[in-house]
Amino acid sequence: MARSNEVNLNECKMVVPLNTWVLISNFKLAYNLLRRPDGTFNRHLAEFLDRKVPANANPVDGVFSFDVLIDRATSLLCRIYRPAMAEEPQPNVAELEKPVAAEVVPVIIFFHGGSFAHSSANSAIYDTLCRRLVGLCKAVVVSVNYRRAPENRYPCAYDDGWTALKWVNSRPWLQSQKDSKVHIYLAGDSSGGNIVHHVALRAIESGIDVLGNILLNPMFGGQERTESEQRLDGKYFVTLRDRDWYWRAYLPEGEDRDHHACNPFGPNGRSLEGIKFPKSLVVVAGFDLIQDWQLAYVDGLKKAGQEVKLLYMEQATIGFYLLPNNNHFHTVMDEISKFVGSGC
Amino acid sequence: MVLYDSGRLAGSCSGSGSSSSSSSKPPPPSLQKQQDIDGLLAGAGYKVRSSELRKVAQRLERLETAMVNSPADFSQLASDTIHYNPSDLASWVDSLLSEFAQPPTCPSEFIMDPVTNQTVVNDAWTTTNSNMPQVHQNICYEQQSLNNQLTVVTAMEEDSGIRLVHMLLTCAECVQRGDISLATSFLEDMQGLLTRVNTVCGIGKVAGHFIDALSRRIFQGIGGGSISGGSAYENEILYHHFYEACPYLKFAHFTANQAILEAFDGHDCVHVVDFNLMHGLQWPALIQALALRPGGPPLLRLTGIGPPSPDGRDSLREIGLRLAELARSVNVRFAFRGVAASRLEDVKPWMLQVNPKESVAVNSIMQLHRLLGSDSNLNSPIETVLSWIRSLNPKIMTVVEQEANHNQPGFLDRFTEALHYYSTMFDSLEACTVQPDKALAEIHIQREITNVVSCEGSARVERHQPLAKWRTRLSGAGFRPLHLGSNAYKQASMLLTLFSAEGYVVEENDGCLTLGWHSRPLIAASAWQAVSDAPAEFPAPDTHRPG
Repeated sequence: MARSNEVNLNECKMVVPLNTWVLISNFKLAYNLLRRPDGTFNRHLAEFLDRKVPANANPVDGVFSFDVLIDRATSLLCRIYRPAMAEEPQPNVAELEKPVAAEVVPVIIFFHGGSFAHSSANSAIYDTLCRRLVGLCKAVVVSVNYRRAPENRYPCAYDDGWTALKWVNSRPWLQSQKDSKVHIYLAGDSSGGNIVHHVALRAIESGIDVLGNILLNPMFGGQERTESEQRLDGKYFVTLRDRDWYWRAYLPEGEDRDHHACNPFGPNGRSLEGIKFPKSLVVVAGFDLIQDWQLAYVDGLKKAGQEVKLLYMEQATIGFYLLPNNNHFHTVMDEISKFVGSGC
Repeated sequence: MVLYDSGRLAGSCSGSGSSSSSSSKPPPPSLQKQQDIDGLLAGAGYKVRSSELRKVAQRLERLETAMVNSPADFSQLASDTIHYNPSDLASWVDSLLSEFAQPPTCPSEFIMDPVTNQTVVNDAWTTTNSNMPQVHQNICYEQQSLNNQLTVVTAMEEDSGIRLVHMLLTCAECVQRGDISLATSFLEDMQGLLTRVNTVCGIGKVAGHFIDALSRRIFQGIGGGSISGGSAYENEILYHHFYEACPYLKFAHFTANQAILEAFDGHDCVHVVDFNLMHGLQWPALIQALALRPGGPPLLRLTGIGPPSPDGRDSLREIGLRLAELARSVNVRFAFRGVAASRLEDVKPWMLQVNPKESVAVNSIMQLHRLLGSDSNLNSPIETVLSWIRSLNPKIMTVVEQEANHNQPGFLDRFTEALHYYSTMFDSLEACTVQPDKALAEIHIQREITNVVSCEGSARVERHQPLAKWRTRLSGAGFRPLHLGSNAYKQASMLLTLFSAEGYVVEENDGCLTLGWHSRPLIAASAWQAVSDAPAEFPAPDTHRPG
């Protein structure tokens, strides 16, 4: 008989491969060590434990990467991933920012997950994911190392996302040859998915065109306790308590989870009716306890007349897209590549 | 400023992107299989043997149960424990478990088979995906190889800056090919371009130094220029200002001292051998820490190695006297000995007068790489020195080295790598505003650049190699790593926040710590101990603590 915050380990063991279980359980354990009950975060230990990889301007499997400091004042780094050109197996290092060669090259601005507090653009798991996206979508990927909570609360992450969007949009070398414009997509998982929505919002009256939003298990919430939150609390790696902790760490002090950052279609949200908002691809995992909020997000977009495609992966847990050892992974990757390939 | 870092350029090597002329290759898939590492987890930064996955999972489960049952103890665990080498997941989980001292729970996953009376593992993990082809595993491990890293951090750059970089690389390529007249014309063009680029900071500044070094190489010849052009006295001054202007040396000293302090725990007669005394900047902090140690300080002997003074002054002894004075003031029994040698390879172990009863720490800050040049095919100096270090049976050997690949045989590779490395280092110096520290620090760095670019043979002493190569070499020479833990990491990070500009980053790398500028590590600190038996192939993961 399981209490809602008692760990019920047997169910999640059944639905993921062993190495995935080890990976995600390891994160869960480590993250528990890092969150303090008083709302502070053990940042030093977090950085010590996080597995990071350096950029590599030598192509590995057809992808090379380099880091760019796009805003000195906030130390905002982005890691850029590019496909290596077939005719030039090694990049000429003075030409890392060589103009993209094709008629149409999608540029995906990626926001890593971590519930606003964990991980970085150079975390190994996200470096791997971004490299996959390059090959999959024949895209340039720009992974943003946004400032994290609790040291940097709302709206820092969105500000950094916006800075990155403006920067990407103004790079001549990222313009597609067809129309001399940068073809921008926003993508992110968990908190990164939340950032995608809010950066796209900010872009609305700016004249910067975002061609599409990709939200992987996006992090949304609200004051109400939904059915999925109650049913799945503690069952598949994630608890309501930790979700609450991260929102308290990110939202302005004193605000509750109906703040529009957390609940964009809630009582304090902004209506998107009649607004030119990018088309969205939203991926929801069937074992994610916040799925009711994610589905409500999709609904909210639909009601506002926005184009949205929902991919509901029934048997998936959080983090299924980190390792290519399950069918959900491949399904979602296919859909992403179609989403970015069409209507460029 | 455009900062690039290079392993290789087009034209110098053919083949796949991950090979390099001088670095060791990542273990081939066959070795990986032999070592049985799960490829997907390797891609996520964790080294776990596939055969151990189940065991690791069970231990994770136990920790989770413990976490739920006694949350208070768990948060104690969080704040007090020192963590080591998180990549070795099995060890990390085990160390947490042992900290937690859980009574053995009856593993529900074990069932007695009523027929055979043997325990059977209840396979609670899904086997439905076992048909998934495991083709992706090897790819991830390749990416983890750091032997041929090409790390680039750039910032906004103007056109002439980019052109300057391009020209520098092309000129270096001409030099490598022996096309001196073309190289010379590039030099002239670059001098001209330099007038149009801001040389006070950014690419213009570092480019100027590289242009000078190239000129020197072309016109003076590679045997020509002296090693650093300065006297020992001058070098010490420059080094001291480099120490003040940026945190690299402070980090080196601090991290090494931490490790030495831990290694000396419980020992009453300790002897530190410093391979490059300079002004003895590292030692006051250690002396003070030993003075404050619970149980009282040990008897501390310090042997400082340094170049002989030309004018009859015994500068080593002067430093020793000052340190003795400090030790006296904090009641630490202290003895100093200076060993004057122009080159580290001229030092013989008997000169150090190590007493068999004392615990020895060997401290090498940016010295080992100087031993990598070898004119003859006899035992190269590095092997000789490592061998006698081992014979001293030190409790610990602390090694700090520049995190760069400046010893590649191909000139162009070396040049490109140096351009990126020193660009990053100069960029980080921008944050320092104190003069004359900054200016003199720049001269110190400039001399390194000159040596890397314009010297060859025994004159080229700045033969930096990355951590990955040092790991291989030291393991092969009979040393095993002593992992630096989260406490050292945390203190280093905190010191950086207090004393340095934003942008410096401490990172943990497989038990070692690196300090870098933004995402580019520039200096790596590690600690080692001699193994008494033949060196193991796979570094033993179970010893976390020094001493």
